[in-house]
Parts: sequence; structure tokens; C-alpha cells
Amino acid sequence: MKQITLVRQAAVCLMRYRLRTILMMLGVVVGIASLAILTSIGEATKRETMRRFKNMIGTFDTIMVRAGGGRSRGMPTLVNVPPTLRFEDAKAIAELPGVQTVAEMQSAFDIDIRYRNRAASPAVFGVSPNWLTLRSDEMADGEFFTGGHDTALARVAVIGTDVRSTLFPDEDPLGKTIRIAEVPFQVIGILKSRGAGPAGGSLDDVILIPLNTASRRLFNRDYLTMVIAQLKDPAQSDAATNRVSELLRERHHIQPPGLDDFVITNPAATMARVTQASSTLARILTGVAIMALLIGGIVIMSLMSIAVSERRREIGVRRSLGASRGDVVFQFLLEAVSVAFLGGLAGVLIGLGGMQIAARVEKLPPVLVWPPFALAVLLSVVIGIVFGIYPAWKASRVDPIQALRS
Amino acid sequence: MIQIENITKTYARSGGGTVEALKSVTFDISEGEFVAVRGASGSGKSTLLNILGCLDRPSSGSYRLNSEDVARYSDKQLSRVRNAKVGFIFQAFNLLPRTTALENVEIPMVYADGHVDRQRAIAALERVGLASRARHYASELSGGEQQRVAIARALINSPVLVLADEPTGNLDFKTGQEVMALLQELHYDGRTILLVTHDDAVAAYASRELRLQDGTILSNKVVSIAPLRPLIGDRP
Repeated sequence: MKQITLVRQAAVCLMRYRLRTILMMLGVVVGIASLAILTSIGEATKRETMRRFKNMIGTFDTIMVRAGGGRSRGMPTLVNVPPTLRFEDAKAIAELPGVQTVAEMQSAFDIDIRYRNRAASPAVFGVSPNWLTLRSDEMADGEFFTGGHDTALARVAVIGTDVRSTLFPDEDPLGKTIRIAEVPFQVIGILKSRGAGPAGGSLDDVILIPLNTASRRLFNRDYLTMVIAQLKDPAQSDAATNRVSELLRERHHIQPPGLDDFVITNPAATMARVTQASSTLARILTGVAIMALLIGGIVIMSLMSIAVSERRREIGVRRSLGASRGDVVFQFLLEAVSVAFLGGLAGVLIGLGGMQIAARVEKLPPVLVWPPFALAVLLSVVIGIVFGIYPAWKASRVDPIQALRS
Repeated sequence: MIQIENITKTYARSGGGTVEALKSVTFDISEGEFVAVRGASGSGKSTLLNILGCLDRPSSGSYRLNSEDVARYSDKQLSRVRNAKVGFIFQAFNLLPRTTALENVEIPMVYADGHVDRQRAIAALERVGLASRARHYASELSGGEQQRVAIARALINSPVLVLADEPTGNLDFKTGQEVMALLQELHYDGRTILLVTHDDAVAAYASRELRLQDGTILSNKVVSIAPLRPLIGDRP
């Protein structure tokens, strides 16, 4: 009962000394707002990165083996894929322990695709029929090609949504014949859109055709651009990566210090790295915001300490009317906590507004992450307690006799 | 009701050594007495008042207030005694700023059990003739009005002892008389009052006079056996 009355008194006191209250709140408002905004942006960025990454990879239970050594990257065209990764390599990888199955892929870029008088140059991928599952792609319309199409070297194609809108702006593509490097292919399916990859490029500017058709009728190649191995246990991706690496070095007769002529991407490991990088950034940002919050706490502490000196007489009067030292401590601590809490709430509201703006400017989806906001309010209360202790203690040490005499 | 026995108070001087503010003071005050404490500055009046008001503890000796020995009480116990048994009236009124008359009167209730009985506070203001000013801030009241609010505040918890430290010191003659009339009424109602003053006219209201000099009692004499008749018109 007494405490409730004191809480009400503190509220009235904060209202009557409005300017002082607002000044005391300011630091916490800024600290909490920046903490809320920064951690939310950090979290939203992390989620967005993960989403794009997942878009590109498809599933996380696979590792990817690409032809080409070390750091020599660059766009593979018809000619610049090194002929090192063979069909037999893919078969050998499939037989490794821990590997569930493999999907094979040949790719080429800068190939002319035509439909009537329209032209496009998407990526052309010759892929094995299990590609769809391993990449967790989905069909928007029509069918994906089967093992039968592959064996028969059928000239069938599945197109991405970008290709559809370029070549068939106002037509149903299914059953139509397109020319890939002058070879006619029939469109039998359309992929669902995957959106943007991690670098921002579209993942929908693509045509998929059966691997054997690509290999014998189009590219005339007996080597692969990439093999995707699906693992039995995704947690074992590091071990599987090592085994594949050993196998390929042996098959390609590479001795130390010879460099690999292939590159293995381990999405789970890459993902962990990406996540770690963005959480490092998040930690730094959070650190900066907490610093701001600490400064807010120090502002409360110093203004409150000054207020104690100014309110010596009030303290003396209250003591003479029956306030114990404990009551005085409670009163001042309560005021500090209330100021910090109100500052925290104001900071959260400003933070929410700031989030909307930041999301728009940074072109992130406005992900509302609640934990940082809830945590921010909690933290402001803690700040109020920690930085209220000194002024409250100082207030309780005021000698009522001296204070009343002055 | 108040028994003071061999009370001493020694302060450590800042430059080293000690000052004896009170030297073995002994006296009693019975219930319903109106005592004026007089003496030059430095005679120990303030120290005595602080000890009687439980704001300070004697260095030695015993102080029984309403049959409770409070000389060795802790801060918390003394706070409770101040709240329940003592009412303070100061020369500088000491109303809280930015606080209404009514809220000022309610403060002792906050520290009692936290239950604020607004009706009781309004009644107390009525008693000092200020019910109409209840919602005014302290700074909006005249000196005499502030002192009357302070008296209402001092009385809200029905204390057994009212301590008034130069209550008319900051007031002009007329308002001073009004305030004294109010204290006299309390005296007629049977309240025990101890008043510190330099002013003969003010001291004349008391039934007993206690003179201090250099921390000892110089004289302690009854100045009027029966309460004086009210000097200023009756109040309801």
C-alpha cells in the first residue's frame, strides 16, 4: 500500500518537474531507439541474407562440386569450363559412403535462344532429372523432364519465369518450340520463381534441358560443370566434403603440392560463415547502442545527483514527517527507474518508426523483430536501477537537521 | 509524558575536539502542557528540539516519549515515532514546492501505512480555515496560509507532541498572532506543545518556560497555571 502510494507520488513528481524528467530521459531514449533499430536491422539483414542464400542453394543437405581450379572463376561459357569433372567422377561420388544421391549439371551462358522474332540469352543448364528435387525447385506449370526424356535425348526444355516473360509475354509457352543455338526444343514446363540470389541477381533467367540431350546434341561435351551430392546426414557435410575432395584428387592424379582442379562448396559451412559474419556485425552495432544506453544511464545518474542537492530541503521535510532512509532510497530509485522505463518506451516507439524508415531506405523487408524491443525495455529498467542507486543512496545520506536548517 | 533524564549531546568538531551542545539536561513535560523553550543562540535549543523530535539521538541519557524509550532507537524506529507521535512546525514553513496544500497535508499519511485518507486531509485543512485553498500550490499561498497548512500537516497523524520552531519568525505581527491563536486552540484541546522562540509576546502563550544557557537548564518555571483565554476571536 505504502509502495503503491509512493509510486503514484513519483509519477506526480516526474510530471511536475517535466523539463528535468525529459532531459533525464533523453539519453535513454536515444540509446534504446538506436539499440532497437540496430539490432532489428541486424536481425532483418541476417534473415534476408539467409533467405537469399537458401534461394540459391535450395537445400542445405547438399554439397556442390564445380569444375575449375582454385580461384580461377569467371562465367563459364561454352568454351571456358575446364574438362576435368567427368561423368565417371559423378558416379564415383554417388558411391561414397554418406552420399545419398547426386545430380549432374552442364551449363553454358551466352547462348542465343529464339522464339519467333524474340531473343533471350539466359543460362542454359543441362541437368539430370533429379535436379528438381535436389534443388527443391518447384514447377509453376507443366512437367519436369523424366529419365525417359534423358535417355531418349529428347529436345524438351523447362524455362524460368524471366525467360517466359521475355519470350512469351502474352502467350502460353507450353508446347511451343524455342530454338537453343538453332536447335529446336519444345517447352514442357515452367519453374516457379525463386527471386533474387545473395548477390541480387535473378535466379529465374534460366532454361533447363535434359543432361544427355545437352551433352550430345547441344554442347558436345563429355564433362560436367557441377555435381550436386545429396548427403544422408547434413551434419556430416565437412566429412563428406573431405571424402569427395580425396576421391577427386585421387581420380585426377593430383599429388601435393598440386592444386585441386575442382571447387567444393559446402552450403551448410558457407551459411554458418555468412551467419557468423552478419552476427559479428550485429554484435558490434549492439555494442555501440549499449554504449549509448550507458551514456543515457550516466545522464540520469548525474542529473539525479544534482537534483538530490537541489531537493535537500524536500528530503529533510519528508524525513521530519516520518520518511525513513529506506523510504528516501525507494523514492529516488523509483524516480530513476520510472524515468528510464519511460525513456525506454519512448525509445522503442521511436525505434519502431526508425525501423520502418530504415527498412525502406535499405530495401529490406520491414521485418519486425520483437525480442530486441522487449529486451530494450527490460534493459532500460536495469539501467534505471543501476544508475539510480548512487543518487538514491546520496539522498538517503542527507542529514535532515542540516537540510531543514539551511 | 516526556521524561528527559541526564541527556547530553556531544558533536565532533571539524577541526578536532568535541563540542558539548547539551550537558546533562533533565526535565519532564506532562500531557497537555504548552512549553516555551528560550535561550540565546548556541544555548542548545535546536539540539534539544531535534532530540525531542527524534531527528537526532542523544549521546547519553534517556528520553521517554509517551512511555517509549526512544534514546537508542534505530533510524527506522525513529522515523516511525516521528511519523506517529511528533508534529513539526518550522519557521520556514517547509511545505514541499510544486505540491498542493492538500498533498502536503497528506504526506505523513503516506509514510504511516500508505493509506491516504483524503477526507481526513480536507478536514484538517478546514480546521485551519483553508479548505478553499486545498488545491492551491504552496507557492500560491501567503506566509500565514503556508504556516497554517504546515500546522494541518503536523496534526494529521494526531501526534502526542507538537514541536514548533520559531513558528512566527517569518510572519508579520498580525499573521503571527493568527498562527499563535491556532496553537493556543490546540493547547486548549489538550495537545502537548513545545515551542522555541525569542519573542516574549509569543512565549507569553505558553504555560511553562524553559530557559537554556550553554547546554544546561537555567530556569524551568510555570508561568501560568490555567490556560489563558483566547486573545483573538474564537474559531469553530
